[in-house]
Amino acid sequence: MQSEKQKEQKEKLDELLRKADVRQYDCYQCGKCTGGCPMAHAMDLKPRGVMRCTQIGSLERIVKSNTIWLCTGCHTCVERCPHDVNIPNLIEEARYLAAEMGYVRRDSKILNEVFLANIRMFGRNHEMLLAGLYNMLSLKPLQDMPTVPHMLTHKLIGVLPHQTKNTAGINRMIARAEKFSSMRPAGK
Amino acid sequence: MKYSYFPGCSMESTAKSYRLATEYVMGRIGIELIEIKDWNCCGATSGHALNELLGLALPARSLAIAEREEPELDIVTGCASCYARLRHAMHKARTDNASRYNIEKTIEEPYGAKREVYNFLDILTSEAAKTAIRENVTGGLRGLKVACYYGCLNVRPAEVTGAPDRENPQAMDEIVALAGADPVDWAFKTECCGAAHQNDAASVTRPLVWRILKNAQANGAEAVVTACPMCNLNLEMRQDGYTKKTGGKAIPVFSVSELLAVAMGASAGRIALEAHHVPAAKVLASALRRHGEGFAI
Ligand code: SF4
Ligand code: SF4
Repeated sequence: MQSEKQKEQKEKLDELLRKADVRQYDCYQCGKCTGGCPMAHAMDLKPRGVMRCTQIGSLERIVKSNTIWLCTGCHTCVERCPHDVNIPNLIEEARYLAAEMGYVRRDSKILNEVFLANIRMFGRNHEMLLAGLYNMLSLKPLQDMPTVPHMLTHKLIGVLPHQTKNTAGINRMIARAEKFSSMRPAGK
Repeated sequence: MKYSYFPGCSMESTAKSYRLATEYVMGRIGIELIEIKDWNCCGATSGHALNELLGLALPARSLAIAEREEPELDIVTGCASCYARLRHAMHKARTDNASRYNIEKTIEEPYGAKREVYNFLDILTSEAAKTAIRENVTGGLRGLKVACYYGCLNVRPAEVTGAPDRENPQAMDEIVALAGADPVDWAFKTECCGAAHQNDAASVTRPLVWRILKNAQANGAEAVVTACPMCNLNLEMRQDGYTKKTGGKAIPVFSVSELLAVAMGASAGRIALEAHHVPAAKVLASALRRHGEGFAI
């Protein structure tokens, strides 16, 4: 007998696979994805392991892994997969789900939020402001800072960011994206 | 030739010499770039990390403006991340009606995805552009050994980019050869540089840069050439650990536009070569000097 909890996990997992357009049994565990993944060395669940978890029904290991936050979206795995299993798609969907379930990697969250704040203010991404704010909030004040004097001397970074004029429109767009995505049609 | 142009955020700040060189080269070979009016950030990479629809709407807004203002023109960008996001939005709008509906509702504007999105490598390898490059190059970079680094997103994912060869692409190799340089064969052309995770997961992504540089040098490259301001920044600005921790030797990294500009006679100052973190002017100047040309650095 499946417990309620197992049933719920199974349903969530099926929905995740459907949204990502991935069929778990397309994967025959050859390991080419992990072999080519540039971030595998730092992942607690390798790309092949992610696929194995979809086969044995362990959604929990996927959403709690650091993998979904470390994947760079480079698409090397799917490029080399003999069965075109789209792992980056699956990981992206798993990231949304993990966020909904409350599993978020702190540093990723800080970077993403600082980024969004940047876009809200300027419509564009002000790189050094992004890096500076990120460093402050993530308590890594010195990361990349030795390069700042060089960038200032050569005017690679300025005080006043270039910006999109219609930032009001951008903010409306962000609000609508947030509103509509909760009623996004399932699947493709 | 004329294109709607999406510069991207890096082009306005850290990629100064890439921007100046691109303007110079496009001017010389007769390609006119019309900047998209009031464009906004494409969202790479946090836009789609946060919310799928936002990840599509951010690039789609600029594309929709481009198609409204210049309906006859295709769109071009010089950044691999922008290219991927713009093309992804175009691809989604073309292949998935539900997504297009949601995109249009979000950006409050129709987006027909009628025009193509290209990167610089695409437009520089058209027959007309290649002829123009040949006519404008003085040939002085002969013998300069470079490793052409394409990164991920200029080539992958295949269904979005349509790139013919994702493991050993040739477009940039062809372009630098037209400029007289000598592209080396090497193994890390399309390996990932860590992208934005160089910020939020620095300790585990730095080695990605180091192994790329190491492989380039092991195959005889004197410099790495890129087609993306973010790749360029990562490969160049993250060399500290490479030289200090692994005993590697610093190596200049510059964009394909800069290489072309110098081959066409631009001075170092004209394209702000001095703005590089790892000096770039020296290797270019000494290649020029081998042929009795050269500029003061
Ligand atoms: S490469 Fe494809 S088939 Fe092989 S283990 Fe990875 S996902 Fe499965
Ligand atoms: S897309 Fe993600 S999982 Fe796939 S190879 Fe790249 S980093 Fe690894």
